[in-house]
Amino acid sequence: MRKLLFVLLMVPFAFASWAQNKKEVHILSANDMHAAIECFPRLCFVADSLRTLYPDLLILSAGDNRSGDPINDMYEIPAYPMVSLMNIVGFHATTLGNHEFDSGQEGLAKLINMSDFSYLCANAHPAESTGIHIRPYQKFDVGGVSVGIIGAVALGPIGKPESHPKNMTDITFTQPLEALQQYQFLRKECDVVLFLSHIGYEDDVKISASLPWVDLIVGGHSHTQLNGGEIHNGLLITQNVNRLARVTHITLTVENGKVVDKRAENIAIKGVKRENKVVGKLADYFTNNPAFDEVLAVNDKPVSTYEELGCLMTDAYLQAANADISLQNYGGVRYDTLSVRGINVKDVLQLDPFQNNLVEMTVTGNEFIDILKMCFVNDQARFPLISGATAEYVLDDTKQQVKKVVLYGPDGKKLNLKKTYRVVTNNYVQAITPTNRKDEGHDLGIGSAEAIMQFLKAKGHIDYQGKTCVKEVRK
Amino acid sequence: MKLKVNRKTIEIFEGALVRHALLRYFAVKGLDVRQVDTLTVTDRWGHEIDLDAPASQHSTITFRVKSEK
Repeated sequence: MRKLLFVLLMVPFAFASWAQNKKEVHILSANDMHAAIECFPRLCFVADSLRTLYPDLLILSAGDNRSGDPINDMYEIPAYPMVSLMNIVGFHATTLGNHEFDSGQEGLAKLINMSDFSYLCANAHPAESTGIHIRPYQKFDVGGVSVGIIGAVALGPIGKPESHPKNMTDITFTQPLEALQQYQFLRKECDVVLFLSHIGYEDDVKISASLPWVDLIVGGHSHTQLNGGEIHNGLLITQNVNRLARVTHITLTVENGKVVDKRAENIAIKGVKRENKVVGKLADYFTNNPAFDEVLAVNDKPVSTYEELGCLMTDAYLQAANADISLQNYGGVRYDTLSVRGINVKDVLQLDPFQNNLVEMTVTGNEFIDILKMCFVNDQARFPLISGATAEYVLDDTKQQVKKVVLYGPDGKKLNLKKTYRVVTNNYVQAITPTNRKDEGHDLGIGSAEAIMQFLKAKGHIDYQGKTCVKEVRK
Repeated sequence: MKLKVNRKTIEIFEGALVRHALLRYFAVKGLDVRQVDTLTVTDRWGHEIDLDAPASQHSTITFRVKSEK
């Protein structure tokens, strides 16, 4: 009887002891935010709400925090608004996305120094001279649970992340899996091992087979919307589409130093009706940045045609890419008049609002003419604008079809159509002109609007009145 | 790089986004390129991806017009 009483008295203590061995880790993860400043007030409300329930909430980003809004990307310190907002929300760590390199080594170093959160990337190796302070991994104590987080970024065809190569001259990279395998020791040292990944969903799935020592992959780069998360090879993988449409709340149950349960659910940020007012004020401050009124150049004579303004754009592309010829489709020139006044950042973003990048192709004169003809048809019989050459069009009687194009170089002589030329245009034009050219080209990682701003700043004064690059010949 | 859009192989420049692959598909098919912004796009597993996702060599994407509410 005494023994039975003793056992019955011990049961609650045993239960309490068992319950103490079971802990939960709560993570809020975002990926590919791409400067969605306008979503941060709501994101902060969500983070604050979850923190009320789970004070040890870990907030993580899977990279590409920037590049997607000129308000962020063209701030005096490029991309600082996002860093400032992520600081306030309380992010603990991010990995490097390919777009983190978009403001170059110096720009990245500056941003990292201004961030309250860590940058984790095991496969990027910056030279000490860059001042870029990243770590391959970091351990976090989350309510008594040790969480080890390693990061990695996808490499493109040239063995570097997809950003302009000039942005990474003093940084070497190794393949993600090769880099990650060096940190298997984290399995012994941590209760939870998490891979903060910017390699894309398909590669997350592939790599999971080689990472049995990892519990969770918080993914990014491919902008893949998963429903909560998916289990592959025993690992939970999460990811969302870009620009904070959704984030993921992950719950890991840890018992006796091992993850025994993994759950993930999406939270639609755009559907959140309440927001953090302080963060809202900060977002407004960044949005109404007076730097966008900065005068880049003065327009000395009024212009009144799309052609004149289009020639300004193509001159800017030509200079930015140091190409032989540049091209802008007529439909991409968004206004046709410019009075005598200063031209500011806002004007350029109105002239070129599409956030296109410049693309370079090596094409023959004949291949280039095919592109011009296709642009003409796409824009309802309006001539594309070019620099580095002029074009003479012979149209049919209906004026809807181009019968012949003759190209002249800057010296007025006809261009050799069998010779190849380095042509720069924007990625929209490249995509909508499926001609039979050999070279489809490559993205230069330079924004077309950014190229125009730099051109204007360098010029100081411009005069495009009467400028032309097109001649129509009627036969 | 080459990828499949609605089972058709198209070629596009290195560094292209899903948006550009769709623009190329529409241009090849002679369709109105302005429709691209109205599309819902999925990867080969049926996951939604957005238009600004990077296009990948040998990937397969499928689109349909977003249903109006």
